[in-house]
Amino acid sequence: MLTVVKNQLWVCALAVKYNIMREMLNKVTFLTNILFMMFNNATFIVQWVILLRLREDVGGYTMREVMLLWGLAASSFGLSRLLFARVFSLPELIVNGKLDAYLVQPKNVLLSVMTSATTVSAIGDCLYGLVVLCIFCFSVKRLLLFLLFTVTGAWIMTAFALLMGSLTFWFVRSEVFGSNMVNSAITFATYPDGIFKGVSRFLLYNIIPVGMAVYHPVHLMMAFDVRKFLAVLGYLAFLSTAAVIVFYRGLRRYSSSSLMQAGRG
Amino acid sequence: MRKYVVIYQSVFIENLQYTANIAMGFITYLILVFVFINLWNYMYAAPGDLIAGYTREQMIWYVMLTEMIWFGARSSTVREQVSADIRGGNIAYLINKPYHYPFYILAKYTGEWNIQLPMYAALTAAAGITMVGALPDFHWLTLVAAVPCIALGMTIHAVLKLCISMLSFWIEDANPFQWLYDKLILVVGTIFPVEIFPAALQPVLKLTPIYTVCYGPAKLIVDFSVGKYLEILLAQVLYLAFGSVILFWIYKKGGRKLYVNGG
Repeated sequence: MLTVVKNQLWVCALAVKYNIMREMLNKVTFLTNILFMMFNNATFIVQWVILLRLREDVGGYTMREVMLLWGLAASSFGLSRLLFARVFSLPELIVNGKLDAYLVQPKNVLLSVMTSATTVSAIGDCLYGLVVLCIFCFSVKRLLLFLLFTVTGAWIMTAFALLMGSLTFWFVRSEVFGSNMVNSAITFATYPDGIFKGVSRFLLYNIIPVGMAVYHPVHLMMAFDVRKFLAVLGYLAFLSTAAVIVFYRGLRRYSSSSLMQAGRG
Repeated sequence: MRKYVVIYQSVFIENLQYTANIAMGFITYLILVFVFINLWNYMYAAPGDLIAGYTREQMIWYVMLTEMIWFGARSSTVREQVSADIRGGNIAYLINKPYHYPFYILAKYTGEWNIQLPMYAALTAAAGITMVGALPDFHWLTLVAAVPCIALGMTIHAVLKLCISMLSFWIEDANPFQWLYDKLILVVGTIFPVEIFPAALQPVLKLTPIYTVCYGPAKLIVDFSVGKYLEILLAQVLYLAFGSVILFWIYKKGGRKLYVNGG
């Protein structure tokens, strides 16, 4: 059993490695994508400088917390798109019958799909998060927590995207709904939770998983709380399990189109 | 000119068939507006507060209008299609057609936004009145006066996006430059009116596309004055003329590069 898991993880690691190597063929484009994504994220600092000139805090967040929020959001989404970019275009694979290429592979279908593409600019997101942490609120403990929560955040976002994408197995046009939900998570993740009240706050902590992927981890990095930490881990386990079950349930309904492709589309 | 009108008409009619697809984008727009309403509600601690001369209602309406322009101007034609044409070599084929390629793209783009923008405008009006309330001191005549400014702003936006896309003649992927331009408009232009920035920065911001693409039209609807109207119109005309010169210069230079590389 352990050997099987080890082999599978090795295959995943190789897939990610070759995805990145393929993108590195044009080194100028590769580096430009990474650097400009970092600049792209950095432009939002202007927004927060302006807002925090108007009030001392926004939703209870000062510049330090806002930057931590931004850094963690960028790193989490970045890691998710770097390792599992295909999850975000899963509906397209389902609708166009492009899952066939993965079904005939001798390894795990889901992991093969997830690791079959990468987004180069996501490296810029990951680096941006680390740079922001180092500049605005560095401590060894916080760095370790940041790395841990980057992984949990990426995991939660990947699971959420998988869950939303898998709805396409049942509902026509649900890919638009799914991509809107994923994009809304990204939008919400870059604003302090303190500005949201009532129902919207409940949704952000329970339905759209921003609360568990970003808000709670930011609070934990500022002041550690075991209960919040366990809540994040519990939510991660629940969402991942639900996403995997829904994907495989949906896969039973999958039927390929007449489209024939030799490659990985 | 007639051929561009025909291109415009055909794209306009084609887009009429896909209004449901356009409406799918409403969800993202509404989510963004929801976030900004929450943000500005928080920033305005007490009703009646003024920030940079704007009331809470004016500020939220300003953001909704700039977002409306941003969403209404979304187009794959001026971005993905031009880049793909250049990168894929299709431009070598299109360049020989009996039309000027940049004008062809602009005609297509106009056909697209002429459908998208009115749809987002209707949504903005409905969402604004429902979530914020009517815009204070609004007069229908200001909307009529703002229409040419919106049209000019949309065209300037397309010309600038085209300029960036045409960088693909030299670099394989012009997307990173698109991100920067988009962020300039989104972060600085749509969320805040120019008046909110420090006084020393405001003249600089008036030289950027922010002033002509989103600030100008939205400001006129939110807080109209004849002096401001003429100032914005003049800035837009100058910006469009300057942007067009740059566009045709890049296109001409890029065309030569294409000849050297053979497509």
